Amino acid sequence: MTFQNPGALLYFLPLGGVVILLYLLRMRRRDVRVPATFLWPERTDEVRANALFQKLRFSWLLILQLLALSLAVVAFAKPQTKQRGLAGEVTVLVIDTSASMSATDVKPSRFANAKKQAEEAIRSAGASDRIALIEAGPTPRVLFPLSSDPSKQLRALDGLKPTDAEADVGDALRLAAALVGSIDGARIVLLSDGVFDKVTNFSRGKAALVYRSIGDSDENLAISALGTAETPTGRQLYCAIKNESLKPIDGTLSLYADGKVIDSVKVPAVTPRGQWGRTISAPASAKVFEAKLDAPDILKSDNYAVSLTSAGASQHVLIVGKGDIFLERALALEPRVVLDRSANLPADTSPYDIVVFDGVEEQPVASRGVLTLGTAGPATPVTTDGSVKSPQFVSAENQALMKGVDLKGVFIDHAEKVKPRANGVVQALGDNGPLIVTSSSPTKRQVYLSFEPLQSDFPLQIAFPIFVSNVLDFLAGEADSSLLSVKTGVPFSQPTTAPATLKTPAGDTLSIKPVANTLIVRETRQIGKYELTVGGKTKSVYSTLRSDTESDLKPQKDLSLGGGEVRASTSPSRFADFWRPLCMLCLFVLGGEWWLFARRS
Amino acid sequence: MTTMVLEPREFRLLDGLRLNPRKSFSGRVRGERLTKKKGISIEFADYRDYAEGDDLRHLDWNVLARLDTPIMKTYRDEEDLAVHLLVDGSASMEFGEPTKLEGAKRIAAALAYLGLNGGDAVYPRVLGRREPPQAALRGRASYPRLASWLGGIPSDGQSGLAKTLREFVASSVRAGIVVLLSDGLDPDVIGAIKSVGGRGHELLFLQILSDIELDPDLEGDLRLLDAEAGSPVEITVNSYALKEYRRRLQEHNGAIVDAVRRIGGRHALVRPDQSLDSLLKTVLKKGGWVA
Repeated sequence: MTFQNPGALLYFLPLGGVVILLYLLRMRRRDVRVPATFLWPERTDEVRANALFQKLRFSWLLILQLLALSLAVVAFAKPQTKQRGLAGEVTVLVIDTSASMSATDVKPSRFANAKKQAEEAIRSAGASDRIALIEAGPTPRVLFPLSSDPSKQLRALDGLKPTDAEADVGDALRLAAALVGSIDGARIVLLSDGVFDKVTNFSRGKAALVYRSIGDSDENLAISALGTAETPTGRQLYCAIKNESLKPIDGTLSLYADGKVIDSVKVPAVTPRGQWGRTISAPASAKVFEAKLDAPDILKSDNYAVSLTSAGASQHVLIVGKGDIFLERALALEPRVVLDRSANLPADTSPYDIVVFDGVEEQPVASRGVLTLGTAGPATPVTTDGSVKSPQFVSAENQALMKGVDLKGVFIDHAEKVKPRANGVVQALGDNGPLIVTSSSPTKRQVYLSFEPLQSDFPLQIAFPIFVSNVLDFLAGEADSSLLSVKTGVPFSQPTTAPATLKTPAGDTLSIKPVANTLIVRETRQIGKYELTVGGKTKSVYSTLRSDTESDLKPQKDLSLGGGEVRASTSPSRFADFWRPLCMLCLFVLGGEWWLFARRS
Repeated sequence: MTTMVLEPREFRLLDGLRLNPRKSFSGRVRGERLTKKKGISIEFADYRDYAEGDDLRHLDWNVLARLDTPIMKTYRDEEDLAVHLLVDGSASMEFGEPTKLEGAKRIAAALAYLGLNGGDAVYPRVLGRREPPQAALRGRASYPRLASWLGGIPSDGQSGLAKTLREFVASSVRAGIVVLLSDGLDPDVIGAIKSVGGRGHELLFLQILSDIELDPDLEGDLRLLDAEAGSPVEITVNSYALKEYRRRLQEHNGAIVDAVRRIGGRHALVRPDQSLDSLLKTVLKKGGWVA
């Protein structure tokens, strides 16, 4: 046992001396003459004194007061004992649930080992120790706030599951620092294999950071690439496999097209840190290609990959213009969109599926879809006839493009006054002409909006992201929007007002309700095929890992966190204070002393 | 001017009453008390056989005529009764309102009047101080002398009750009624009471206690000074101390009552302000102390 403030023990001498001195003071008693004194008991329970001096006599009050004083002095000296264990007085346990934690080099898995260590820390914590649990998953979340309730903490820990996704450990650590960074003596314990991206912009504050490295192997073979390419000889499917370890590993690769095996091949032992690839002809009509690798490695999450060839499954969008944050945000909500932005139209637009002219005059492009906002061009399905001030919405066609989009009440400062060309179809009509016009042909689809969104309050309406989603469906072709490929753990959203159900690869069905007319799906944390049903329409969602970071399973012993190096520790020590129980005991003794005083006085 | 201690009305209450001892005592002069000694009086006592020289006036002629046997009638003698009137004059008797000594004097006057009125020999004596024994008082005419004596009793006695009571017992006085008027506040009083019974006296103990003893109004940190020779007591008077005091007083009084009964005496606890009417009614007449 040691004392943080041993000098406080010296206070006992003067303070105890004062207490004893008070008992040396004699009571000045009032003389009273009585007929006989032999009937009176000798009860000199002095609780006050006002004269000097008398011989020190035994008194329970004196004993209790000296005991309370000694307890208070010892408590003030802050006694502490050194103990080993993860938990301190205030501890945040950050548990990595990324895909790499499912590696089985530590039996049964790195994740199970981390949970076990967290459980031991909770069980071994003192009664006054406060512990919080944070999941370092795709989206960090507080499983349990700071508290001293082991049973609830263990229940929360029991509900924690591993994911097949990348983890944002940096955000999780920042969350932990926000919880305890301002508390002296607090401790952030990271239970992880160290397989995550370098963490920057992290400050632990006053808290200590303890890193427990889990894992001892890196034997892993992963599918590093899967895709199709249109060649003059037809569609080709290629697949690449990477050995992330320092030991040759072989396996068996199976390729599927729309669920049917199209190839199965023995993968020769891939050299350490080397790659192996295979390219085959793929059926032109197939939309879903899957690759499955069977290998004697320690991680199965990266042995599965999906490639979709459907036009609507992935859309590369280019915004040409000054920039519209509302438009970019609405497009970013779409998981199928890969967004680029440019002030000027690039010479080659063939890599882009859709080009958006935002306040810029439309020009001919090679892309199959064009969205024109406010400034018509020669290829636009309208002809311009000046401009109009404050046009009012009149009516809309009952088409898929306008489903869920209500322009009534939308304020438009000014718009182009247009007339539709022959191929133009008016979707929405204002009091001075068309507001939305579309055109479609086998090779190209166009949507024209007669005003720039920033010249109206349309971006502030709930209808705006729904309109953008409908535009993407229209430009891609509605038939192609039933397939979607997402990265595990990355939430995606879909504008809708109807509730949805999600069927997981394991067969479970989850209900998801939209918030503010947007359905946010966060549950795709495992690899495999999900089925998302919204308003009677079912969409197949393929979730894959495909992460070089997660596939490189070598456990990290040293981490770079926020500019500082953190070394993995075995079992950190802690100093356990026990001045609080001493204070409680002191109060109890003072209570007894008060009771005795009240009883005698 | 000598005070009479009692009111004229109180004298009228006492007229016609006499002390009523349980025992018989032999007297020194002929009085109005029947004794065990056979003597000449009109009070028949017993029969006995005739002996030569007996006074033929006491021969029972009727028995002689019927049985032809000379039988003598005997009669109880009538002598005076010794009434030792012991008034506690120790310092502890000055407490109370009126003081216990004042109450004792009034009761002593009443009982002495009964004795004098009944032809008894009253021997007044003060306990708690050394003074020569008083001569016996006889007859109603002696009452003023007794009243004068009572009026002269100071309350500054420094000797203990038990000690002076033992001195009285040891003084070879005539056996008789011992009327003890005291507060009994002496730790050794029990032994002294037993010694009174050992000398053949009949003890009538009227213990006089005031509210100061029965329900003391004390509180706080005090140094209690004994009115007599007791040592001072430093005390924090609280409910616990008062409870303990009452328990001890009750125990002490209980021991006195027990000791008095063991020697065939009588005991009563009275207050100094108790009226003579009440005393007669609740103690003296009810308990058969007077008849």
